[in-house]
Amino acid sequence: MTTFALPAPRLVAADVLRLRRNRSLAVVTGVLTVGAVAVTIAVMELMHVASPAKHGPAGGVQNLGHVAFLIAMLGTAAAAIVGSRAGAGDKDAGVYRDLVVTGRSRVSLYLSRIPAGFAFLFPFVAAAYALEAVSAVVFAGSNPVPDARLLALTGLWTVLEVAFFYLLSVAVAALLGSRSYAIGVVLAFRLAITPLVASISALGIVRELMPGVAMQALAPAGLGHAARQGPTVPMSIGAVAAVLIVWAVAAVALAGWRDVTRDA
Amino acid sequence: MNTTSISPYVVETDGLSKRFGERTVVRDVDLRVPRGSAFGYLGPNGAGKTTLIRMLLGLTPATAGSMRLLGYPVPEQRTRALARVGAIVEEPRFHGHLTGRENLRIVAAARGREAAGLIDGALDQVGLTTRAGDRVKTYSLGMKQRLGIARCLLADPELLILDEPMNGLDPGGIQEFRGFVRSFVEQGRTIVLSSHLLDEVEKTCDHVAIVDGGAIVAQGSIDELRGDGHVVFVEVDDTDRARRVLAGNAAVERVVDDGHVLAVSILDARAVPDLNRRLVEAGVAVQRLELQQASLEQRFLEITTRLENAA
Repeated sequence: MTTFALPAPRLVAADVLRLRRNRSLAVVTGVLTVGAVAVTIAVMELMHVASPAKHGPAGGVQNLGHVAFLIAMLGTAAAAIVGSRAGAGDKDAGVYRDLVVTGRSRVSLYLSRIPAGFAFLFPFVAAAYALEAVSAVVFAGSNPVPDARLLALTGLWTVLEVAFFYLLSVAVAALLGSRSYAIGVVLAFRLAITPLVASISALGIVRELMPGVAMQALAPAGLGHAARQGPTVPMSIGAVAAVLIVWAVAAVALAGWRDVTRDA
Repeated sequence: MNTTSISPYVVETDGLSKRFGERTVVRDVDLRVPRGSAFGYLGPNGAGKTTLIRMLLGLTPATAGSMRLLGYPVPEQRTRALARVGAIVEEPRFHGHLTGRENLRIVAAARGREAAGLIDGALDQVGLTTRAGDRVKTYSLGMKQRLGIARCLLADPELLILDEPMNGLDPGGIQEFRGFVRSFVEQGRTIVLSSHLLDEVEKTCDHVAIVDGGAIVAQGSIDELRGDGHVVFVEVDDTDRARRVLAGNAAVERVVDDGHVLAVSILDARAVPDLNRRLVEAGVAVQRLELQQASLEQRFLEITTRLENAA
């Protein structure tokens, strides 16, 4: 008899189905990722075509950084929405108890949501970045063209940022048992609290404990300041990795413990 | 249907209790549910019925006591126990944006590999095959209740636990549901059905436990609980005088006066002619005297009244 300890592939597939069949979730995620990038590039290029002397082309290294930052921020919003749906969707729908009474371990149910939500979210983020990468080269015009290494590093950084805040969102949603609260908490943490803390230089090294600050320190140097928001706190790669890993492990473990011990 | 245990009971609890802070909602429950029965767990709202079910299913821990499902101790072996248990706790809930079939696929994925192969049969058994491709948010309550049963059937359950399954159903839906229960019992499955509706339990179940204030106050077969008691409905010209006459008779257990008709509980039907004679001798004009076997409802009222008087 299996102990149902680990998430079975069919359990992950079922969770993907649950997310994929939610039209409003797909539309919102698409708008926040591919849609936002497409509109941004289209507007920049149209302005350039309309007034080349006043507006530069939509491509090039600097615009790659700007749009990568856009994907990271709006992708974080999408990650909060998808992650909270993955983490607390069963509870919000009232079907969590029906999954628990199958005898499947709660750890397994909890862990299956993490890859499922990411499997749903990743194609949107990847498509948005692919669109941006192509535009950065095709519409570079007189701007410096990003090389393959910079494109790859920027892509990895973008996906890592979104993936980290997706993971945090799943954990917060599972911890709180509520989608709406989780979205609010994650967005406030990333978009308001993180820049605020980063800007308070008196906090010194404490600022490095914020994952958003660590993520910003990880932005490819080749993008310059284009992919940054506010002051950058210099951090070593080791410190960045330690901050992100500790946050991820602590959040996932805490939420897992809460999920297993709460009344279903 | 294959069974997993040779125990005569599919549910056994000993001293099971649940407290929320200072409040005890399930009190020292010793429950025995016979295999192959339709078992009613009967009590008023707030009697602790749902909490007991939630403990059995591992949704909330017990404060004290022990439980066995299908012969397996829970929560120690809950995975083994629940593998052959289907349950609807409170009202059946689903992902409204998914179809009925997709909702079953989600639960089948959480069960064993073989559960996915049972989806079509389960939908067919509850008569939802033609609507299985529609989103659940378009389903009526009765259809959701049937889909809930289909979800239970994915376990090929030896035991189905249904919490207040008749709530919100129209008379047709209730009759249909009763038919499901009887057909499952005929298939050799055991049904535990919690309800506050005495009449429904009496019509649907063959065994019952009566619960009040979190504690079981009586349990056994419906016939055992009804006992040999009878009720005589007495219509007279002066109910006050009739009540006084009857209350002094040793054969009378209890007299309930609704203002027009007296419901007189007696242990032996042979006492009826004597009651009639005493009323006439006391100058009471008897217009109707109708003997009926005591219903579960009357027994329930007697039991709970005794408890109230003892308190």
